[in-house]
Amino acid sequence: MLHQFRTAEGDVEVTVAKQGDVWQLGQHQATVEDDGRLSIRLANGTKGYATTAKVGDVWWVHFQGHTFCLERIEPGASQSGDEGGLVAPMPGKVLEVLVDVGQSVEGGQTLMVLEAMKMEHRILASNAGQITGIHFSAGEQVQQGSVLLEMVEDEA
Amino acid sequence: MVSKVLVANRGEIACRILRACREAGLASVAIFAENDSKSLFVELADQAVQLQGDSITSTYLNQEQILKIAATTGCDAVHPGFGFLSERADFARAVTQAGIQWIGPSPSAIERMGDKMTARKTMRDAGVPVIPGEEIEQEDEHEALLAIEQASTRVGYPLLLKASSGGGGKGMRAVERPEDLLAAAQSARREALAAFGDGRVYLERMLTGSKHVEIQILADRHGRTIHLGERECSVQRRHQKVFEEAPCATMTEEIRSAMGKAAVAAAMAVHYEGAGTVEFLLAPTGEFFFLEMNTRIQVEHPVTELVTGVDIVREQLRIAAGEPMSCGDLNLRGHAIEVRLYAEDASNNFLPAIGPLAVFQPPEGPGIRLDTGVRQGDEVTPNYDPMLAKLIVWAPSRIEALQRMRRALDEFVVLGTTTNLRFLRELCDVPDVIEGSTDTTMIDRLWPNGWSASIPVELEDGALMAAAVSESSGLHRQVHSNAQVSDQSGPVSPFMTLSRRYP
Repeated sequence: MLHQFRTAEGDVEVTVAKQGDVWQLGQHQATVEDDGRLSIRLANGTKGYATTAKVGDVWWVHFQGHTFCLERIEPGASQSGDEGGLVAPMPGKVLEVLVDVGQSVEGGQTLMVLEAMKMEHRILASNAGQITGIHFSAGEQVQQGSVLLEMVEDEA
Repeated sequence: MVSKVLVANRGEIACRILRACREAGLASVAIFAENDSKSLFVELADQAVQLQGDSITSTYLNQEQILKIAATTGCDAVHPGFGFLSERADFARAVTQAGIQWIGPSPSAIERMGDKMTARKTMRDAGVPVIPGEEIEQEDEHEALLAIEQASTRVGYPLLLKASSGGGGKGMRAVERPEDLLAAAQSARREALAAFGDGRVYLERMLTGSKHVEIQILADRHGRTIHLGERECSVQRRHQKVFEEAPCATMTEEIRSAMGKAAVAAAMAVHYEGAGTVEFLLAPTGEFFFLEMNTRIQVEHPVTELVTGVDIVREQLRIAAGEPMSCGDLNLRGHAIEVRLYAEDASNNFLPAIGPLAVFQPPEGPGIRLDTGVRQGDEVTPNYDPMLAKLIVWAPSRIEALQRMRRALDEFVVLGTTTNLRFLRELCDVPDVIEGSTDTTMIDRLWPNGWSASIPVELEDGALMAAAVSESSGLHRQVHSNAQVSDQSGPVSPFMTLSRRYP
């Protein structure tokens, strides 16, 4: 699975693959423990547990006495999914729906505003297109991954 | 007699005092501002009363309101902790006049030590060495500046200008050269006047390369005034202590005994009662000079507790109740170190940080003590001091205490809010710290352009993988919603999960 993170040194793309219970990133390995921690073995032999927590879009990671702050660049927020469904990047509440079914929208336009961890999060259209479905209204709770809206992108 | 104690404070020190009350079998009352209603200390009290108002002045500094609560809840003692009203002689006097026991020294002792110029004179009269310098009594701006200029030639450069009512570095100026004196004196007086309503300043020679060493003292009403040895708190950042230890690494039996005697003399000069701290500068020559006396419990008191075996807060309660203190002769054992965990971004000029404590997992194991007012799930807000916790370790020797502190800091997990954990961890590897040759200018000397963490590249890889795997596995959905465990199929019978059978 591909994820993008924003770090102090710039954006990083990370692709992790799973074989059985073991996740791999190149020669590094990780397994998820029952208590939610990660057991990590790096290519150089370093072994240890990592504790993680997500606050807003940011993954906080404690590993080997260091604490890291990695902001995940949410695909739901910056680009539409393959089938034109826009998904909630995190659990939260719909604050505002800014479009109607049938409406034409431009790339970058804000379609919906979510609130999660007391932070506002905007759902944007990545390209121009037309809204074909809206599945939630203001005030409703959404789970992470819920399809919020459907849209058909204009032919380029 | 003391039977019910109002704790006029919040956070970590309120927890410390409330726990001591519980152990001593005393009833306790906490007071809290609205934004503290979910704080840990409120839970630890037998009774908690909300303060009306939405500023610190209208709540934790509101003497009238606090006194009213003490009266209506039937408290017969008030413990002020540190900060807030702890060194306000007028509050101590009001409490005493209301027929309530003030857990601390008399109002006049607070006054005589609180005014730094009076304190210097009192100490000189008691035969305690003070830093070479001169008090400036003149109130008039023009006369004061003239007197400062004349005094400066006798004190010598570099020198420090300090506000007589000062504290926390306010109204303090370091002056390196005579041509800078006038401007520095004017601005120090201006700042002191604005902060304390008192523009008087005094001069002290700047003693570079000195250690900050302080002596803990205890005095009861039965004629005993004793000292509990020293703490070294030289590692400071802008006059804020970050790393404290007991004993001082370079201390000798002779110097300890001389400093202890001076501290006891200082306390007796103001008829001191309760716990207090006499701060000194210790020069490389072994000479020491009185700096000031703090007439309250101090943040770093736990290191003394660990090496002396004395529960200082418990002794405060005992002394206030009129009982003799319970500790015997000074008997130092092993070494203790305390670090202060702050919600601040050490790599960004130590700016205060806020956020949720999504994970707060303190280290455990032998020789570890954590004094804190927060727990996992709390929110760090900009309303109060950013100190989250004090991590204190004890070990048989200084080397082992440092090793234990490194291990403890590596185990400490705080996620959701930026802290100075890594800065504290790297402090433990600084050669000056390892050798015990720290002085008050160390942090500025080591990191003149600010501190930043050095992170091995492969650990960064590990962290990125941890974040990616966490996201892919949906860990954030599991961790943050305990409610999901039970929402699989409506109400669940608690008996179904029992695997044990009786009989």
